[in-house]
This record gives sequence, structure tokens and C-alpha cells, in this order.
Amino acid sequence: MSKWKTDIGTSASESAIQAGKARQKRRIFLHNAFIALLCVIWIIPIVWLVCTSFSAYSGMNTSTFFPEKWSAIHYVKLLTPDTVNQFPTWFWNTFVIACWTCVISTLFVIMVAYAMSVTRFKSRKALMNAAVLMNLFPGMLSMIAVYFTLKTFGLTNSHIGLILVYSASAGLGYLVAKGFFDTVPRALCEAARIDGCNEAMIFWKIVMPTSKPIIVYTVISSFLVPWMDFVYAKMLLNAGVSANYTVAVGLYRMLEKSLINTYFTQFCCGGVLVSIPISILFMIMQKFYVQGVTSGAVKG
Amino acid sequence: MEAKTSGLSRLGSAVSGFFAVIARFFSEFGTAMAKGDLFVKLSLLWWGAGYFRRRQYVKAILMTLLEIAVIVFTLNFAMAYVPKFGTLGTVQAEQVFNMQTMQTEWNDYDNSFMILLFSLFSFVIWFAAAVVCMRNVVNVYELQMQAQRGKHINTFVEDLREYLDKKFHITLLSLPVLGIVVFTLIPMLLLILVAFTNYDQQHMPPTNLFGWVGFSNFVTLFGGGITTTFGYAFVRILGWTIIWSFFATLTTYIGGILMSLLLNSKLTRGTKIWRTMLVVTIAVPQFVSLLLMRNFFANSGIVNTICANIGLTGFLRDIGLISTSYIPFMTAPGWVHVMIILINIWIGIPYQMLIATGVLMNLPTDQIESAKIDGANPFQVFKSITMPYMLQVTGPALITDFVKNFNNFNVIYLLTQNVFVTTNQFMANSQAKETDLLVTWLFTLTQDYYNYKMASVIGIMVFIVCAVFTLVGFNFMISGDKEGTYQ
Repeated sequence: MSKWKTDIGTSASESAIQAGKARQKRRIFLHNAFIALLCVIWIIPIVWLVCTSFSAYSGMNTSTFFPEKWSAIHYVKLLTPDTVNQFPTWFWNTFVIACWTCVISTLFVIMVAYAMSVTRFKSRKALMNAAVLMNLFPGMLSMIAVYFTLKTFGLTNSHIGLILVYSASAGLGYLVAKGFFDTVPRALCEAARIDGCNEAMIFWKIVMPTSKPIIVYTVISSFLVPWMDFVYAKMLLNAGVSANYTVAVGLYRMLEKSLINTYFTQFCCGGVLVSIPISILFMIMQKFYVQGVTSGAVKG
Repeated sequence: MEAKTSGLSRLGSAVSGFFAVIARFFSEFGTAMAKGDLFVKLSLLWWGAGYFRRRQYVKAILMTLLEIAVIVFTLNFAMAYVPKFGTLGTVQAEQVFNMQTMQTEWNDYDNSFMILLFSLFSFVIWFAAAVVCMRNVVNVYELQMQAQRGKHINTFVEDLREYLDKKFHITLLSLPVLGIVVFTLIPMLLLILVAFTNYDQQHMPPTNLFGWVGFSNFVTLFGGGITTTFGYAFVRILGWTIIWSFFATLTTYIGGILMSLLLNSKLTRGTKIWRTMLVVTIAVPQFVSLLLMRNFFANSGIVNTICANIGLTGFLRDIGLISTSYIPFMTAPGWVHVMIILINIWIGIPYQMLIATGVLMNLPTDQIESAKIDGANPFQVFKSITMPYMLQVTGPALITDFVKNFNNFNVIYLLTQNVFVTTNQFMANSQAKETDLLVTWLFTLTQDYYNYKMASVIGIMVFIVCAVFTLVGFNFMISGDKEGTYQ
């Protein structure tokens, strides 16, 4: 705004204002054209994914960007299972795993975050420091030991094992939610305490109802974990039968050297089908995402 | 607001705080043992004694049952494994002919891994039992004090109600902490122990035993021992891991800020549409987008076709940059490194853009306005106001990002697995390739070569490097106290 004011203030004649306006218009155009260019670069691979999924050819199209013949046949193929492709089953598996993970992780994260933020007890700081230290240890490494432990109990190649892997340690990721709880006014809790509420009632009746954004954020983000994850699923399910796979492991298998020429287009179809629900959830989460992540970052 | 102190003194206070907690725990226990009555002292042996004396019979029974459970666990379970912890087993698995059943059977062999795992598990249980036992004495002593002062002693129901009130944090924390102990802490300790054994393909339980070897795996990693190539591969991979995390963090961080400034500029029309277009790229799961990218840039992929058509491939061959009929985007060292960082920019910038947008909403605009009036150009504003502000707010997150990139398994694995094959003999001997990060190397070692001992050593090194970077980073970031500058 100040730019405009100074422009008007300094320019004496009408024509100068006109010229300024024209220059401003050109700047706006160039600015937006530049952004458009960047966005096009960013979106190209996604466009390619969608276009290729509608190709009539089953292997990878290497000669032209857009497929030569369009067809939705591979979507039909993808939804009718064969020896390699069991997409509907994979989708259902991932959905079930995601639901369980979502429930357990959300509970754990909210519980830990609330305990660390609102309640006060002696070893609170010590526990928080221990969590920082444990987060530095590569998850991949402890995963190897977890794999053996699960194997001992016969939980590899099973969904229970995978759900446990995704959700058991979820409590360590409590920082974002804690950052949110830190902003809930303490006076509210004090008032409730004076009115005779115990801590559990404060948790349920006072803090939870005011924390809808962070609960939605935690629910969606933990629901997305099994959909996004590849490595843990591969580690645990790889040796099992195809019907047990999650979407990630199944689709990865389609790109093996011997399969890629028959299944590449189906892979693209699968990618599109998985991405649609996830993108929608992600867009909803995005609203809470910025708020959550930044408040966590500020708190350090 | 908590005062920000430097990283080292923060660590110092964390360590001293930790020891203070321990010291207080022991002094309370000492007081209780010294000043407690007979039943308090007896509680050390019979956990229910003190409660029994104060007529908290339910609690007394529960504690006694818990004690019995620990003893049963120790005798029936722990004793089968812990005594062998020193050797990790001596009886090799063999098939022997059983005269009675007239069948070949496996002998009663030792499984080194089980011994290691269950011994560790027992140690954790015993540690917890010791803490419970000592804590119990303190609690019982407090009961004694209450009784002496003539105060009301809680009934069992009142005690339970405490867990919804004053002890609510215990109710909240017990399950999540149990999850973390079983699925993070015990595995962590286990792998640290494995680093000191010779657990690898030649020593795979149950058919073979493995044992303690001291520091020899660490010696191997630093270039000693029989397989000298390990030292070479380690240095190469560590170097690339650091370069990768540095560039991956820096490019996406600065790119994200620039992108956010660009999108939120007053000149932009339709900010929401542009932002949605960018965010779609991160909403697509990485295993889809990255696997797509690697086929996009494959040797016979679409980008190569386009490059050949517009003559870029020919031009690059003419100036001697490539010697093949295609551009080896993902298959030649150098090319692949640059491509990985570029592709990471593609998926990283929208994410950082989201965060930067959130932070920049609170950017002190009056400072920028006055700077502009004073004649500062956009670059100067960016350098002197926007960046320092961003650094102050997101500095700690920057360090976390660095550590995350250090362990960024997905990007490297999905882009290079089965695509990039190393031609370097030294690397191949150590089952490594030029594009590997320490974590992907570790993953390959365990998944394909069962070399758990070296994987564990590498894991410990990753932990040390990450810890050092985090400490130094925090120290550097928050050294100057700039808290008040922007308020």
C-alpha cells in the first residue's frame, strides 16, 4: 500500500501516474507468469502420472509425453485381481491398518502431549529430555531389532505386527500437540479445579472440547502414516503372500524388472487411486498443519 | 517465556537435572529406610508389608502378587537365559539320533539371539522391579508419617481415584511409555549390544552361535581388520550423507521461504490455486511420486527421449560430458547425485513453503515498511529482516530437518534401488554404492546380506553424528540471544 502512496505523492502529472499504472500491470503479469511457470514445472510429473494411467499401452510410454491411444482399460484391469495385482485387497488391508494405527496413535499422542503440557510432576523434564535423545536414534536401526522381536512372537507378515510398529512408539511424536496444549489458557483449568473438577474431568470436559484442531490434525496425520509408509511395510510383509500386502508394497512389486512392462500403466492407475483420497485428507489437514507445525517449531 | 540458553548449557542442565532426579530418588529411599519402622524396612523384602500394617489390605495383596510375579518370572524365564549372557550360548545346534523315539531330532541347542534378547528383557524387568521396590518403601514410609500425624489414610477406592486426579499423568503416560520402551528403547539397547558381537551371515541363529567380540567391529569400520574396504566405504558414504543432508536441507529451506514470499506477495493473483497445485505434489505418497520420477528420468525414459529430440543429448556428447547415447540421469555417479538433490527440491519445497507461510504470517510488517521507506531493495529486506526472523523462529526445526535428511531413507531408496549399480569395486565389496546414505547402507546390509554386526555399528555412528550436529547446531543457532529483537 505504501508503495502506491509514495508513487502518487511523488508523481506530479497525470501521465506519470498512467505510466506507473502500466508498469505495475506489467509487473503483476510477469510476477504471475513466473509463478505459473514454477507451478507447471511442479505439476508436470503428476500430469504425466494421470495421463499415463489412461494409456491403452500397458508398458512404460517412452516416446511421447501424452499417450498415443487413450483408454481406461487399465483401471478395469487394476480392479480385477490377478496373480500379481490384488489392488482391492491391498487397499482394504491398508485401510484397516490405517484405522487401527489412527486410533492407537492418536490416543497415545494426545495422552503424552497432555501429560507433558498440562499436568506437572517431578520427572516431567527428565522424560522430555529422554524423548529428545531417543528421537536422534535412527528409527530404521531399532526397526531391525523390532523385526526380530516380532518374528520371535510370530507377528511378521501379519497386520497386527505392522499396526504395532506404526503406533506403539507414537508417543514420541508428541511435540506438535504439546505446542498446541501449551496455548490453552491455564485460567480455564484453574477455574474448573476450584469448581471441584478432578484432572480427568478437566481433560475430558475442558481441554478436549477446545482442542478440536489438534485432534483433527493428529487423527489425519496418523491415518496417513500407513498410506505413505513404504519401508516398514516392506520389511515386515515382504516375505508374506501378496494378499497380505499394503498398497505401497504391492505397487512397488509391480515395478520389478520382469513385471514393469506389463504393469507400469496399472501402477500409474494405482498411484492415482491412492493419491485421490490421500490428497483430499491432506488438503483438510493442511489447514491445521501450518498452525501445528509452526507452534511446535517455536517451542523448539 | 522460557529463557533460551545455549545448547551446551541446555545439555548441561538436562544432564544435571537427570542426576538431580536420581539423587533425590535415592535420598528419599535412604531416609525411608533409616527412619521407617519395622514394617517399612520389611517392605524391602515383602512388598506388601507396609500396606498390611496400615490396613490397606487390597494394596498389600496386589503388591505381594506383583512380587510373586517378578519372582516367578525370574525363576522360570530369566534364569533360562541370563546365566548364558556372558557367552551368548555354547551348545551348537546339531541333529542327533534319538534311540528312544528312533528319530533324528535337534539337540537342546542355544539360540544366541534369544539369549541376548531375553536377557536384555529380563534386565529391563529387573530394573523396573528395583525401582518399584524402592519407590514402594518411600510410599510406605509416607503412609507411616501420615499415620503418626494422625492424618486420614486413603482407602483403596480413594487411592484409585487419585489416578484420575493428582496422579492423572501416570494414567496418561503408562501405556504410551510402555509402547516406547518395548518398541524403541529395548530395540535400541539390543542393537547397541549387537554391535559388540559377531552376528552376521556366518553366525546366524538358530543353526549357528554368535558371541562377544569387543570393539573389533568398530575397528573394521575405521579401516582396520580383514575387510579393509569397509573403512573406505564408510568415509565415502559418510561424506555423501553429510553433503546430501546439507544441500537437501538448505535448498528446500531457502526455496520454501522464497516460494512462500512469492505466493504471498501482493502482486500474486489466485494464491490459493497456485498453492494447491504445489501441495498436490506432496499429497501424493512418496512411493508413487518417487518411483514415478525414477522412471521419468530412466535411461530409456520420457525425459531422455525429449532431450534426444531437442538435441540436448547430442550437444552434451559433443562437449564430452557424456559418452552414452542417452543421458545417464539415474545411473552414473555425479549425475545421480545432482538428480537426487533436484528431485528432493521438487518434493521438499512445497512442504517447507507451507511451514514458511505459517511463520511469515507473523512477520513484523512495520519493520519491512520502514526499511522500504529508507530505500532498502527487496533483496536487502530479505537478507536483513525476513531471513533473520525465519532463522530465529525455525532455527531448531532446521536442525531437526537436517537430522531427518541424514536419515532420509525414502528418497534415496526409492530413487536408486535396483536402478543405480555401482562400478566401484571397493564399494561393491562392502555392499555399498555411491548413492547410499548411512541408513540405506545399513538397510541393505541387514536385508540382503544379514550383516547385523556392521549395521549396528553404523547405526551407533549415525546416532553419534546426529547427536553432535544437533548439539553444535543448537549452540550455533541460539548463541546470540535475539529473543527481544523482533518484539
